[in-house]
Amino acid sequence: MHSRVAIGELVLAAFFVALGLLWVGAAIRMPLWEGFAPQSGFMPLWYGVVLIGLTVAVLVNLFVANEGAKAEDPIGKPLLVLAVFAAAIFGLEPMGFGPTVFLMLLFMFALIERLPIIPSVLVAATTTAVLFLIFRTWLKVTLPIGPLGI
Amino acid sequence: MGPLADLMQGFADAATPMNLLMCFAGVLLGQIIGVLPGIGPSAAIALLLPLTYGASPTGAIIMFAGLYYGAQYGGTLTSVLINVPGESSSVMTSLDGYKMATQGRGGVALGIAALGSFVAGTFGTLGLMLLAPPLAKVALAFGPPEYCMLVLLGLTALAAVGGSVLKGLAAGVAGLLLGTIGIDPQVGVPRFYFGQSWLLDGVDFIILTVALFGIGEVLASCYLSKADPILNVGRVLPNRQEWGQAWKAVLRGTGIGFFIGVLPAAGATIASFVAYIVEKKVSKDPSRFGKGAIEGVAGPESANNAASAGAMVPMFALGVPGSGTTAVMLGALVMFGLRPGPEMFTTNSSLVWAVIASMYIGNFLLLIMNLPLAGLFARLLQIRYSWIYPPILAICVTGVISHANNVEDAWVMLGFGVVGWLMKRYDWPAAPMVLGLVLGPLFENTLRQSLTLSHGSGMIFLNRPIAAILLVIALLAVLVPPAVEMIRQRRAASVTAS
Repeated sequence: MHSRVAIGELVLAAFFVALGLLWVGAAIRMPLWEGFAPQSGFMPLWYGVVLIGLTVAVLVNLFVANEGAKAEDPIGKPLLVLAVFAAAIFGLEPMGFGPTVFLMLLFMFALIERLPIIPSVLVAATTTAVLFLIFRTWLKVTLPIGPLGI
Repeated sequence: MGPLADLMQGFADAATPMNLLMCFAGVLLGQIIGVLPGIGPSAAIALLLPLTYGASPTGAIIMFAGLYYGAQYGGTLTSVLINVPGESSSVMTSLDGYKMATQGRGGVALGIAALGSFVAGTFGTLGLMLLAPPLAKVALAFGPPEYCMLVLLGLTALAAVGGSVLKGLAAGVAGLLLGTIGIDPQVGVPRFYFGQSWLLDGVDFIILTVALFGIGEVLASCYLSKADPILNVGRVLPNRQEWGQAWKAVLRGTGIGFFIGVLPAAGATIASFVAYIVEKKVSKDPSRFGKGAIEGVAGPESANNAASAGAMVPMFALGVPGSGTTAVMLGALVMFGLRPGPEMFTTNSSLVWAVIASMYIGNFLLLIMNLPLAGLFARLLQIRYSWIYPPILAICVTGVISHANNVEDAWVMLGFGVVGWLMKRYDWPAAPMVLGLVLGPLFENTLRQSLTLSHGSGMIFLNRPIAAILLVIALLAVLVPPAVEMIRQRRAASVTAS
């Protein structure tokens, strides 16, 4: 049996509530009001309180709604893509921009999507080269450099 | 100078080779984005932001505006040829457009959509030109309380555009909350930086936008891997009889679309729905609708394009976006160091008029591209999403790290990308969050200034007529959609019971 509220949505709501609590906790230690004027902690305190209130209202709304759980989109592939993307960000500084982006693209095309290897290599290499040319050569942006110098 | 002289100057600015190129790039990209699955105009603008760091603000905003209305054209192709609306504003088009395609008249549906969009875009831009400057002039008299309520109206109106007002409001407040990270603009004290010096500048608009619209969108759509079979395009130009049936629908759709687009709580989607309903109501034979009626394509398509121009009225005149995409464009204006709002027409008049003039040029370019090249654009539908999303991720990471040459920004992007994915997955609108981040400092400053002016009394927002009116509209924007939904559900329940 499906639960009425998806776990993912509960995680999202918990994130917003945690964010609100963090802001309320930090704001009450700041000056809130002085003379006629609100101070640094005033607005963050209210933002935190309102965010918690609204998120709880959304949750209550979801729990009391009569709708059953909707059929959910698959989660495995997005998580795999996310893991590869995270690994690529991790590899940017030690490996450099060029090799990291090329490998990330190749991994996604050839292993996650099971696309033909030669077009995968070509598209990965072209995309990396185009990005390198636009950002490094044209816009003169400093990108992470690895042992290969790119 | 009068509007006509301003417009002429705008044409002179928009017609420079670089700005023409930006306009062409914008409408072409918009057309492509509208066709491709899993990436919308908001995400596309977010991805292009890093590329425009060194460009002139005028050229960049011309390109973004072109992308915005170009995407409305592109969304039509998917609606007509594969019955999958590329944009929510093209949902109504698919009802009759796809039927026309199955009858071998897909090209005519695309042709009338392009012609109607051109007429609507041109008249919509004319409306923008005539309505925005006087509105901005009125708004120049605004003080901190009015500005504060204007920002509140912008946030509540955008929150009300999506499915759930509560979710939209929560997202907007989350954006406001993130906007407090960094230095307090009034007293210069650091807040919420958690001992991380790189957070002293706050969460950057680009990082949040790329994360929510780029990464979030990819993670929510990456399981789509099949290309859809497409129907033949065929003849594109409508014949005399078809044009005779459609031209009134084009004009009605233009009027409806522009009016709805101007309203802060509405947008192209609502405009296309209303236009379709109106066409069905005024038709002598409503039974033709849903079976390939050309008015069912002409009305909604004209409406969604006119609404795109209409949505720029509150953005330029008041600094209040009428849609998610204009919210991102508003952030881009802030990124370029401009202050969106009534002063735009005085302090950055050349930019505003160049963008308005470029919209005439862009609509003409789209017409030229769409009539002969509809079949070519239709081929884009055969590209599998598997080939599209990895390069999008590469652009996201490159754009974000190039912003401040800081890999930590990429981690922040990844974190908010997960939040964006969950928001997309469970229908929490992301645009209010971006708008909250962009307008947060202005909202906080004006609210604190207002309370200081009134010696701490919140009555200042009720005692000043314009502020009070804006507050009432903001409240209505939040309260009316749930009330309408409740009435609709009760009616549906009573019909079912009877």
